[in-house]
Amino acid sequence: MIAKRNDALRLGTLSPARVLEPADAAEMAAALAASAAAGESVVLHGGGTLQRSANPPARYDSALLTTRLVAVHEYEPRDLTIGTGAGMTLATLQRTLAAQRQFLPLDAPLPARATIGGTLAAGWAGPRRATYGRARDLLIGATVALTDGTLAVCGGMVVKNVTGYDLGKLYVGSHGTLGAIVRANFKVLPAPAARQLAVATFEDDNRERVLAHVGAMTVPPVALLIRDGFLALRDAPRPEDIDFRPQIVALFEGSETTVDRAVREYRSALGAAGVAETRILTAAAAGSGFQEVLDEYVALAGAVSFTLLGRGKPADATLRAERARATFASGGAGATSIETIADLLTGDVVARVRAPATLDAQTLAGAGAAVRSALGRAQLIAAHDAAITHVDAWGETPSTIATMRALKERFDPRNVLAPGRFVGAI
Amino acid sequence: MLSSFASRLLDALGPDVVRAAPEDLAVYAFDAYSEDKLPSAAIVPHDVREVAIAVRIARECGEPIVPRGAGTGLCGGAVPSRGGLVVSFARMNRIVELDVRNRRARVQPGLINLDLSAAIAGAGIFYAPDPSSQKISTIGGNVGTNAGGPHCLSYGTTTNHVLGLEYVDADGGLHHTSIDDAGYDLTGVLVGSEGTLGIVTEVDVRLMKLPEAVRVCVAAFADVESASEAVSAIIGAGIVPTALEIMDALITRAVEAHYHAGYPENAGAVLLAEIAGSHDDVAAGEAAIAAIAREHGALSWRAARDQRERDALWAARKGAAGAIGRIAPNYYIQDACVPRTRLPEVMHAIDAIARDHQLPVGNVFHAGDGNLHPLLIFDRRERRQVEAVVSAGTEILRTCIAMGGTISGEHGIGYEKRETLSLVFSPDDLAAMGRVRDVFDPMRAFNPDKIFPSGAMCGEVGTPPSARRTATA
Repeated sequence: MIAKRNDALRLGTLSPARVLEPADAAEMAAALAASAAAGESVVLHGGGTLQRSANPPARYDSALLTTRLVAVHEYEPRDLTIGTGAGMTLATLQRTLAAQRQFLPLDAPLPARATIGGTLAAGWAGPRRATYGRARDLLIGATVALTDGTLAVCGGMVVKNVTGYDLGKLYVGSHGTLGAIVRANFKVLPAPAARQLAVATFEDDNRERVLAHVGAMTVPPVALLIRDGFLALRDAPRPEDIDFRPQIVALFEGSETTVDRAVREYRSALGAAGVAETRILTAAAAGSGFQEVLDEYVALAGAVSFTLLGRGKPADATLRAERARATFASGGAGATSIETIADLLTGDVVARVRAPATLDAQTLAGAGAAVRSALGRAQLIAAHDAAITHVDAWGETPSTIATMRALKERFDPRNVLAPGRFVGAI
Repeated sequence: MLSSFASRLLDALGPDVVRAAPEDLAVYAFDAYSEDKLPSAAIVPHDVREVAIAVRIARECGEPIVPRGAGTGLCGGAVPSRGGLVVSFARMNRIVELDVRNRRARVQPGLINLDLSAAIAGAGIFYAPDPSSQKISTIGGNVGTNAGGPHCLSYGTTTNHVLGLEYVDADGGLHHTSIDDAGYDLTGVLVGSEGTLGIVTEVDVRLMKLPEAVRVCVAAFADVESASEAVSAIIGAGIVPTALEIMDALITRAVEAHYHAGYPENAGAVLLAEIAGSHDDVAAGEAAIAAIAREHGALSWRAARDQRERDALWAARKGAAGAIGRIAPNYYIQDACVPRTRLPEVMHAIDAIARDHQLPVGNVFHAGDGNLHPLLIFDRRERRQVEAVVSAGTEILRTCIAMGGTISGEHGIGYEKRETLSLVFSPDDLAAMGRVRDVFDPMRAFNPDKIFPSGAMCGEVGTPPSARRTATA
């Protein structure tokens, strides 16, 4: 095992005393058991892209990296299933699948860094889930290292399985507080033959018409987002191009004929709503354009920023986004600006708040609370260190917290796994 | 003479809710598995409040609690193996809230699966999980077993369509979960837990938009192996239709005799394929699947002309297990799942196992998912045949495990397969599941004797299966 000190793994105000990189599942289990025996706290790290979507740990002795768990354990393309190490990046996984014209429909920001284990642990669920399901729905099996040094398997390599408890669901979204995911099995899909991204800017007073026309489409996109306040997506932005008008982004995937038809229908719907120009990106450009939008979900901006993601019903997503923007309409709560993404298919609303470096802790916390109340159930997904210590990652504690605490206690009795990072200070 | 447990229930909930006479309890003694056991009492509650009251009384009296939907389960999951209290959801069968715009509904657990889709079809939406028992099985029961059905191939199983739950815990406390809440995904853990973690009293479900076009096609093959090879090739070619089902000659003949749905009666095996999506995709999908089927020896190919023909083909397919009742004194339906590439091999192995045990076997299964349902036909009055069925059933499961598969794709573990669970999972794997059980139900009050091995590990199927009462493949 390689041990090295690394300040780059700092979370909040703490840096780990040790950095461990287990070579395989057995070493991971042994490392967890040793930490538990010594009562030393451990934070798991994948690519770090979503590490700021949980609170900083209360204690932080060791960082445990999944960097070396990158094996493809099983891949039979004709079964449409794959099992890999948790440390593999999503980009590598997608490349492996793409060579067989397959893909895993799991959206995540920064896939070149984001790992499978980290994406699962963070419970990330992106815009395309309305069509393809969430990470929890794509996962068919997992191996998890527990603090007693055992490796526990759940699920398997088949696409339909009701053999024992579905513990994969428990580990997904648990932010490394119950165990370390060391292997994940997914069901995958044939890669869509065609992909097109439609990007259009519209006038703010035209919003209702755009929504009405787009809502009446018969062939729906796989993702449909309205971005407000973000810089418009452009090939090569020049200063004179800077355009902060609202923008509607639609991703279409499927067969050539159906995608062509859907995009034609979409363009004419926008045209009928008075939108002058809809730019269409195809094939690889559509994929990278959509990835750019996803990357924005966790991108930091300005001196201090934090980003909240609120879940709710699709029908009121634009309303919640508007409420969040209205919070700062009069420069309220001292923040300089807010940008939002309303996901019309899933109901997610993303709000990025930018604040000046001089903003005091109390005002920052107030801004977080104000945006939260506009969004509904909202979690932090990204933040500058200056913000994360003042804006709680979780917001409202769920009513089932006692059961959650009991689960934590039963899986990690010494409370060494990411203490204090999860909801309700778990 | 009433037990003190039954008296306390009667005092608290009244005779309209509580059943305590043996003749009234008989219907709660069994499901579609062979075991039966009379409970001490049963309740048919009107609402969650009555469920919570009964759970508290049962706990105080040390009586186990078994939730019950329609009793169509094939693995004894609803059998009150230690007596105690059965909670029947027959009265809690309403759609509490329907939100067409956001495509979701809140329903009570006793709602019959098909009644949900029937009630919302006019709005252009449907509830995707469709176990063959859907005409009688309930959403609550489906949640308990994470029920599947033919259309899981592209839509996923029950767990992929449950957004949140209301449940009563082992102390009678009421909880609400949502997959959108922060914290651990309790919803995902409860679905498929077969009533061992809590009693689900309300279910938030995801509804889907009806596809623009649907086509159902039937191909005849010389035998199950060639039909299975066609299915492996279709999936291997990267085509995922909404359903790919196979019936062998024995099942096809029984089904046609009963339903006259238009299946080719003399075929060695029949492939039923459903393709849904845009008009163009459906046409292209049919052409691609038909071409692969022909390459693998399809003798004929026919598409249903209209919805009436489609419905008839599906009704017959979903009634297959019932139709077998016409030709067999008793049958035992097995449920297992293998990776899709292993289908031809596993079908060959099942045939050999049945022949070795001198048992006729029928096969009707969700081929596209690799989810097998061999039906072993026997006469329960012949002791040697019963023993042969037990032995063949276990051998089939071992074969599937050896091929990288598992022992249940959709029926659950229940009472029947609990000792077999340790063929799939190590003691460490099972211990992790046990931790979850410890948290939700430390006293093992909810549905004891289900899912988990009894402790003295054996790894053999111990209980002889016998007659199946209901058609639920």
